[in-house]
Amino acid sequence: MIEATGLTKRYGDKTAVDGLTFTVRPGRVTGFLGPNGAGKSTTMRLVLGLDTPTSGRVTVGGRPYPALSAPLRTVGSLLDAKGVHGGRSAYDHLAGLAAGNRIPRRRVEEVLESVGLPPDTARKRVKGFSLGMGQRLGIAAALLGDPEVLILDEPVNGLDTEGIRWIRELMRSLAAEGRTVFLSSHLMSEMELTADHLIVIGKGRLMADTTMRAFIESHSGAHTLVRSPQPEELRALLEAAGARVHVTPRGGWRVEGPDAGTIGDLAREHGLALHELTPAHASLEEVYTALAQDEAEYRTEAAR
Amino acid sequence: MSAARTRRTHSAPPGSRPAPPARAGFREALAFEWIKFRSVRSTVRTALAAAALPPVGAVFVAATGSLQDDDTVLGGSLTLSVVGQMLAAVLGALLITGEYAHGTLRTTLAAVPRRATVLAAKATLLAALLWALALASCSVAYLVGDALLPDGERPQGEPLPALFGIAASFAVAGLLGLAAGTLVRHSAGAVTTVVGLLLLPSLFGPLFGGAERWIAGISPTAALEKLTQTSDASADAVGSLGPWPSLALVTACTATLLGAASMTLRRRDV
Repeated sequence: MIEATGLTKRYGDKTAVDGLTFTVRPGRVTGFLGPNGAGKSTTMRLVLGLDTPTSGRVTVGGRPYPALSAPLRTVGSLLDAKGVHGGRSAYDHLAGLAAGNRIPRRRVEEVLESVGLPPDTARKRVKGFSLGMGQRLGIAAALLGDPEVLILDEPVNGLDTEGIRWIRELMRSLAAEGRTVFLSSHLMSEMELTADHLIVIGKGRLMADTTMRAFIESHSGAHTLVRSPQPEELRALLEAAGARVHVTPRGGWRVEGPDAGTIGDLAREHGLALHELTPAHASLEEVYTALAQDEAEYRTEAAR
Repeated sequence: MSAARTRRTHSAPPGSRPAPPARAGFREALAFEWIKFRSVRSTVRTALAAAALPPVGAVFVAATGSLQDDDTVLGGSLTLSVVGQMLAAVLGALLITGEYAHGTLRTTLAAVPRRATVLAAKATLLAALLWALALASCSVAYLVGDALLPDGERPQGEPLPALFGIAASFAVAGLLGLAAGTLVRHSAGAVTTVVGLLLLPSLFGPLFGGAERWIAGISPTAALEKLTQTSDASADAVGSLGPWPSLALVTACTATLLGAASMTLRRRDV
């Protein structure tokens, strides 16, 4: 469990994280979503005690991170692909971390195997590693202490599709074991597939803290894609019924307001043919963009 | 990677895991630092170079006969120990600036969040290692010089207990480098700073008139030169403080600087 209360970080006059309050609960994957520069990495550094908050506090398992007795046995983290000395072997990197937290040396071999780094590769210097192997080493370091809490900053960055799928399955299985998994990404599509719960931030401020499904439903305003050989008649009819109608790039109508059944009935009553009638949700990408736009407009308004 | 393989190593549900371990403290941090030190070429090679220089210097001096008449055997044999000490200081700086340069300090501090413990572990490792290496290396250099230089031409000098102090001056130089590296963070800047700290006091000391004996004696190099009883260690160059008081003064100054570095490290974001 990760709990942040009024967490704020300012660098000079720039506010990177602005009064964040959220709770990351065990047993599910919590996605931490926001565009680049939204404050995700800063928040994660604050959680790990690497940066000191300007105000507010954050605890992991009820305690501030620096107060943990052997932190790697409670929290595993992956901040970025770096964080490993290129001249050191993967094995030595993990052996050092293990020694620093009283983790038995055999765990090093175990995690190397579980992330799929072969022993001979693990003995080579990290400098020659591909991005994907580096990321696997980072995950191995996070798993080393068999921690209850995992904090991963952009773990799929630079991975190929197989690597992305591997991380996704790993995160879900770790959450299924009852662990707390906190995962940041700026890739909405990836989040949609991996996370159960979402914390969304923009410009350092909390924009949403909700389940994935509720987030999409409450912010997308379900809509229906409609096509008809008599488009203008249909449009007039729908607008008369109070629907909002926009043209889609593929030449049909995107209708917000009445559901597919209502639209179909309306068309039949007025003798209009329908060639397509598709209920749809906005993708997370669209929802996020809309949310960010609202926020920007709100700020512009407030500034006037 | 199959899901089954993944699950096997993480099969223990959080509730059934053993009780939390005892606190990981200084000893664990020291073990961590030792593994980091020995697993990277740059640190190991710098340490070995620092240790190799004094014996090489002894052979060189004896072979070329390039000694002043009033120099001691001990002082002449340890001619290159000053450069070795400089490398010791560079090693100290690299121990922390290397972590900044490679972005590993975050990894280190995530594993050991008590930063004063991290710095103390680095300092302990560095001081112990440099003291032992320098003691061995400078003793060998003296024995080599003593064997190769012609007998009876010059005063012998007193190797004991001076050699223990000489080894300590390497350790102090390393700690000075560690403190400078922690404060400056960048390798090049830290190395420049620490070499300056080693050399400048003897260059500028004479400008300070009555305070000269303190100023010039404040560098680990001054303490080292006095301990080696070389003819270069004139009061003009290294201050008129005796060798052991000079070493004590340098140690105290370095300890203060290291304390300041520790406080800075604790406050700073990484």
